[in-house]
Amino acid sequence: MRDLIVTLIIWLYFTLGFVVFFSPFYVLAYFFSKHREITFQHLNNYFCRIFFWIIRVLSPSHQWHIDEQVRHISSSVIVSNHLSYLDPLLFISLLKKQKTIVKSKFFNIPIFGNMLAWFGYVPSDAYGKHSQIMIKNMETMSDYLSSGGNLFIFPEGTRSKDGNINILNPGAFKIAKRCRAPIQVVWIANTDHLFRPGKFLFNTGISNHIVVKRIDTLYPDQYDQVSISELTLMIHALLGRKENESLINVNAGCNSNCHS
Amino acid sequence: MTREEIKSAILNMFKEIFEIDNPGLDDNLREMYQFDSIDAIELIREIERLVGSELNLEEKDQAMGIRTINQIIMYVESLFEARSIRVN
Repeated sequence: MRDLIVTLIIWLYFTLGFVVFFSPFYVLAYFFSKHREITFQHLNNYFCRIFFWIIRVLSPSHQWHIDEQVRHISSSVIVSNHLSYLDPLLFISLLKKQKTIVKSKFFNIPIFGNMLAWFGYVPSDAYGKHSQIMIKNMETMSDYLSSGGNLFIFPEGTRSKDGNINILNPGAFKIAKRCRAPIQVVWIANTDHLFRPGKFLFNTGISNHIVVKRIDTLYPDQYDQVSISELTLMIHALLGRKENESLINVNAGCNSNCHS
Repeated sequence: MTREEIKSAILNMFKEIFEIDNPGLDDNLREMYQFDSIDAIELIREIERLVGSELNLEEKDQAMGIRTINQIIMYVESLFEARSIRVN
């Protein structure tokens, strides 16, 4: 019952809260902001920060360990593992200037699709009618990143079903190379315990540690001479190593603390 | 530029930039080599260098739909023609 009430409050904020409290600011930004895209991204950031504040208040048994370094990332391509639908919202809440790659089908949804384009978010597939959005974004990406913006991407393409790191899509690394941007490798853990894949309800009652941690940074000078396929393997290895460490920690924790 | 010169420039581009060595001229680049939208945009930039001028939006849109090396060659030829540069 508690899960249902908490879920309803959270989604009420996400839908009605957006319309009532935030949409006027988006409308103002649309008509009056000189830097519309950036203003929208800041608004998205505030909206998601409140979203997670509500989750934290209503689900106190979930502890959050957010690496302060992640909040201060700028001018970078951020790559991370992907466990839950909460992950992109989490990044938006942590980064003031943020772009991401969104599945193209979402750009087909009336109004919402237009908003994604206004936010400067990039369709995953640029064939057909999305090509101009993709072209515009890619042509300005270098300037956007060098002015402090971030592009966060989940190179697995979709949520991991079993926590293992899937094959990585090289798109993120192509963009980083093209823009000569640092690649920040970030690890997310246990967001899937709070909002489980395939479930409607937030899982509020369990004790859980949600972690967001920067595990490595690769600068252009370090990866310039490395091919895209090698770079992809390097990042996969970094994420895979972190995944193994997590498993060891969980097992070690269970040896001493868990009861069957 | 002749058709052969264009072909050679394109194949060289694919080797150096996209790490695709000697693709078949009619291979579907997307399916066989994971040549994605980001690559297509990089390709547009390289083609602009090759033809020595910026492509307009319509030309860029056209480029995003290209699937094979042969199509790229024909596309570059058409760009040269549109810019009144003689293709032998």
